[in-house]
Amino acid sequence: MTRDRLPPETDSFSLLKELSETPGVSGQEERIRACVSVHMAPLVDDLRTDTLGNLTGHKRGINPCGNKVMLAAHMDEIGLVVTRLEQGFLRFAPVGGVDLGALPAQEVTVHGRTDLPGLIASRPPHVLTPQEREKPFTKAELFIDVGLSADALAESVSVGDFISVRQSAAELGNGQATGKALDNRVSVVVLLQALRLLQQRSHAWDIYAVVTVQEEIGLRGAMTAAFQTAPDLGIALDVTYAEQPGASAEEAMPMGGGPAIGLGPNLHPVLRELLVDAAERTEIPYTNEVLPGNSGTDAWAMQVSQSGVPTALISVPVRNMHTPAETVALKDIERSTRLLAETICALPDDMSALALDRNG
Amino acid sequence: MRALIEELCGVFGPSGEEALMRELIGQHLAGLVDEIRTDRLGNLIAVRRPTAGNVEGKRIMLAAHMDEIGVMVTHVDAQGFCRFTTIGGVLTNTLIGSRVQFANGVEGAFGMEGSPLSRERPTPQKLFMDVGANSREDAAVQIGDTAVFRSGFGAVGDRLFAANLDDRIGCAVLIQTLRELESSPHEILAVFTVQEEVGTRGASTAGYGLEPEVVVAIDVTATGDFPEATPMEVALGKGPAIKIMDRRMIVHPKVRGWLENAAKANDIPYQLEVLEFGTTDASAVQVSRAGVPAGTVSIPCRYIHTPSQVADLDDARQAVSLLAHALGEEFA
Repeated sequence: MTRDRLPPETDSFSLLKELSETPGVSGQEERIRACVSVHMAPLVDDLRTDTLGNLTGHKRGINPCGNKVMLAAHMDEIGLVVTRLEQGFLRFAPVGGVDLGALPAQEVTVHGRTDLPGLIASRPPHVLTPQEREKPFTKAELFIDVGLSADALAESVSVGDFISVRQSAAELGNGQATGKALDNRVSVVVLLQALRLLQQRSHAWDIYAVVTVQEEIGLRGAMTAAFQTAPDLGIALDVTYAEQPGASAEEAMPMGGGPAIGLGPNLHPVLRELLVDAAERTEIPYTNEVLPGNSGTDAWAMQVSQSGVPTALISVPVRNMHTPAETVALKDIERSTRLLAETICALPDDMSALALDRNG
Repeated sequence: MRALIEELCGVFGPSGEEALMRELIGQHLAGLVDEIRTDRLGNLIAVRRPTAGNVEGKRIMLAAHMDEIGVMVTHVDAQGFCRFTTIGGVLTNTLIGSRVQFANGVEGAFGMEGSPLSRERPTPQKLFMDVGANSREDAAVQIGDTAVFRSGFGAVGDRLFAANLDDRIGCAVLIQTLRELESSPHEILAVFTVQEEVGTRGASTAGYGLEPEVVVAIDVTATGDFPEATPMEVALGKGPAIKIMDRRMIVHPKVRGWLENAAKANDIPYQLEVLEFGTTDASAVQVSRAGVPAGTVSIPCRYIHTPSQVADLDDARQAVSLLAHALGEEFA
């Protein structure tokens, strides 16, 4: 393809806002995929959608060494699904790890025959007993109101229709941004911006930039994408918990402290060293995130695909995760982007450099 | 078809010991398929080659699991009482008062330590099994022996009662579908799977080995039609349920559409299902290799994973009709 017709550079916040506000609940990623496609197409040599809906952009290496690195950033977001129509209201179940406590009074979009604005209704405090006021609502006490009569509702909405949170993204003070689905649209921004940086750089490895589906319900897209791609290395891009009141330094990573590089059995120690070296060589601040077992990210699925794939994980710290009020430091996005691009350019031509037994 | 369900429900087959089920189903499939074989894990694979060539056919895997939940003896004490572990999702609350049967015909009843009047919640540590023995030497069972829940097969009109409708009713639907399906443009891979109840393990390897282009599981699903049930639209007697989502899988929109179109075009009643717990063999095959479009036709069933499950025969008949019509049509 011709690389002289790149679209004008998009600043990270504008891109994040567009991706954050586009719906894409796990299993219904068409719209977010279309949105990502538009941004990715000019940055890769080939773009395709697979059986489950993963979007894979292939960017060939310059003087290719034949090695393949798979980058995985999931595009799906948590949401809700209609389980029953009840007297003009909707009952629902969560899709992924929804924080029920953050649901009451949220505005939502019901993706019925057409998109319907709605909200999560609950009984007002005046009619609750003192004991009930003490406790958060359970799912059985919450319902969705789209304002339609029971008959009109049955015309437009059916069991199984997906529901996404409706929340616009905004810039906060001190270079921070807020919105819904920053898990994991933040990493999709990192992936796209890194591909843009790499247009001007020389990398030997073939890049398979995979924007995965259904991560929030069990890393399902990454499993099949990793099988299809059969990469030599995998790098997952996701978000992690940022420090905030109630989340200590032991449980969370500093906000604005740069990308968190994963450390633990899910992550390949030699590949991890390459990331750390890239960060130190190019003076990118980073932190270490200790993950004692399942990282809960696409890295977990990639690692055991086929006969095994060395994997790494770059995470951007996000506050209030899995609520519609996630926040992120924009400079962490920018630093993660540079770390990813620098790492890819530094990947060794010879895979033996990644051997675990270097004396052997 | 009622007789077939009853026959299948009477066969011993906890996860990992599906040989008797495999043998019986093999007999029923004689003459219905072009090829039949058993794979390394014990899945029974029956192949029906395409017979109608006017539209493009796919390799379609249909999966119904042969195994059922049960218990396994872990220790026999000096008095002949057995301690046990569970095979699959056994609900501990349902154990007291239920009966199990071992492969050799030995019966088992459950007791709990302490006063029978105590209102304590049963935990696996406090429960034991009485197998009619007076001592360890006298016991006709030993460590590693397995037993399945058994209660008499019953029927009230079309409502069927049995301990293991999950998934014997699904196996019956799959056999009956092969009986009723006259011609199909598709290569049909009818797989009676093993070890579903311990993590869809048979389907994982069958899916990998067969590389189907579409997979549809046939299994039971929960209902929302009894007092204080989890809000859920599915009810007994309103037709098979076409799954949209369960705990592990979101159905491919094309599979859902194909099944819904077949139901609508042939006036087959159906329901849409969102299940908040549990999954089926389809979820394992969905992520096999580079991914397979997956769906499930569910038979609504009350009190799943208890020793008294209730389903409706007409839902099973309509499920057969739905599958036979869908398989006769193009997958588009």
